[in-house]
Amino acid sequence: MSIQKEIPELLKAGVINQETASRILDYYRIEKGTSNNRFFIVFGVLGAIITGLGIILIIAHNWDELSRFTRTIFAFLPLVIGQILCAYVLMKRRQSTAWREAGAAFLFFAVGASISLVSQVYNIPGNLGSFLLTWMLLCFPLIYVMRSSIVSLLYLAGITFYACEIGYWSFPTSFPYLFWPLFLLITPHYYLFREKSRSNFINFHNWLVPLSLVIVLGAFSKYHEEFMFTAYISLLGLLYLIGDSEFFRGNKLRNNGYKIIGSLGTVGLLLASSFDWFWESLRRKDLELAELINAPEFLAFIIISLLAMGMFYFNQKNRSLIDIKPLSPIFILFMITFFLGFFSSIAVVLINIYILGLGILIIREGGNQNHLGILNFGLLIITALVTCRFFDTDLSFVFRGIMFVLVGTGFFAANYWLLKKRKVNE
Amino acid sequence: MNNKKILLGVFVLVALIQLFVPANMIWSREKVLSEGTEYKFKTAPIDPNDPFRGKYISLNFEQNTVEVENADDWIMEQEVYAILTKDEDGYAKISSVEKERPDGEEEYVQAKAFFVSFNGSNKLSLEFPFDRFYMEESKAYDAELVYRESQIDSSQVTYALVSIKNGEAVLKDVMIDGVSIKEIVKSNKDREAEEKTDL
Repeated sequence: MSIQKEIPELLKAGVINQETASRILDYYRIEKGTSNNRFFIVFGVLGAIITGLGIILIIAHNWDELSRFTRTIFAFLPLVIGQILCAYVLMKRRQSTAWREAGAAFLFFAVGASISLVSQVYNIPGNLGSFLLTWMLLCFPLIYVMRSSIVSLLYLAGITFYACEIGYWSFPTSFPYLFWPLFLLITPHYYLFREKSRSNFINFHNWLVPLSLVIVLGAFSKYHEEFMFTAYISLLGLLYLIGDSEFFRGNKLRNNGYKIIGSLGTVGLLLASSFDWFWESLRRKDLELAELINAPEFLAFIIISLLAMGMFYFNQKNRSLIDIKPLSPIFILFMITFFLGFFSSIAVVLINIYILGLGILIIREGGNQNHLGILNFGLLIITALVTCRFFDTDLSFVFRGIMFVLVGTGFFAANYWLLKKRKVNE
Repeated sequence: MNNKKILLGVFVLVALIQLFVPANMIWSREKVLSEGTEYKFKTAPIDPNDPFRGKYISLNFEQNTVEVENADDWIMEQEVYAILTKDEDGYAKISSVEKERPDGEEEYVQAKAFFVSFNGSNKLSLEFPFDRFYMEESKAYDAELVYRESQIDSSQVTYALVSIKNGEAVLKDVMIDGVSIKEIVKSNKDREAEEKTDL
């Protein structure tokens, strides 16, 4: 740390006193200590994961020269080693995150290795989905017993894989309803560790949880894809609102997967629905209410939208009306427009107006907060909108040309204005 | 201290379940192998692979369809029970299919309805729970080649040797003319190695 070298000089010059100097030194000593510990965790966990995966690969070779008895013994060997390791950690090293995480990660893979070897020896066909399900169920208690975040992450990846296998990749596909209770099993762990909001494990969760939800939701779509589209808008709105809640306010943006996935996803889907073909197919659709109520897409849409509205209310409760972020109410506007879209072609115009408005409001927000990143995000939204319209051949060339020129000059003007404002403030 | 004991207790329970599940899988299969009846299912293998469990030969069975009274009664992925008999050459044959577990003397195997023909022939095809035969990674492809050769030579018969008890089935081996496919691949490899050294 360069500041530590400066301390004697600062002391000499009388800028700080002896007490401040020793407090600064103490602070960096503690910080350094935790960073050492962090290395330990990273290497411990990586070592355990790589060894575990290696064991699975060695097993997948399928040693058919060995007798059934020998192979059965080998199936239990890594499992028992992992269990002994974890028992040791629980008894002697319970305070060490590195030991707990590494032991639990190793046992996680040992369980997978053991059931896959048994399936091999007895030629058990059980498809990949049921194999993953057994594996994840056998390992989820480790999240709580070992207080292991890495198992929680692996489990989350595992159940997402399971849901994709069942819902997208196998034939015939079925709805992975089991994903939801499986997902709920990790929420207490996630919640209990919330105070450690600066921990990297929680940061990984903050990315993996929204990612997993976005991936899995589509597996519940069969006949009413257009409702899945609105369900997705509501889900992305919900994710954005979670990312924008008080709890995440202090977090760095790069650790806030909810906000990034939520805002990029919302803008992306809005742009996709800014073309008329999306609404054209909607207007041609004959919807029967009875059929719709039973559709899983419709159910998903209702549940997620209610959750998102609840979150919207919760966020807005203690804030003034002016403080509404431009992206937060988009999902509600889209919902209204979507139902209008069944009857009228005005929907596509409204969507284009929303995107334009969103872009302008975000640019304004960037200006108010003196934040170049936000300002340019707003400009990019408008650029994307204009680019989409570039492909709408029913608009005249001159009109499109003027739009491009305007947006291009807008880019220069807005950035120049903000930089100048900064200079004046300095 | 008390908290530690509870945690350790829970861990021991989890560890026991983790041991019990694979042990139980082994136990039930061993029982079928030692006490079950052997059946030979004529088959047609190919070799895909599974990311966790390695290479296997996927088996398609010749005798996997059965005539039903009304095709509309059956749906895809439905659990069914296939009643088994043997034909004059001793190969397994489905005599009928039922939705409820049979309680009589007849031998049966639990399977899944896979495809229902609606062209009036009322044929129901089944998916047997023993369609994977795991092989060592270097042998799986050779096994497929050996199988293809055996198909060209119509005098050879490929079949799966399956042990069946109370509806549960365990695949023991895949045979070509009574010889294990593992043995054939192994002797082919040995012969190739010998030819190489002779050269």
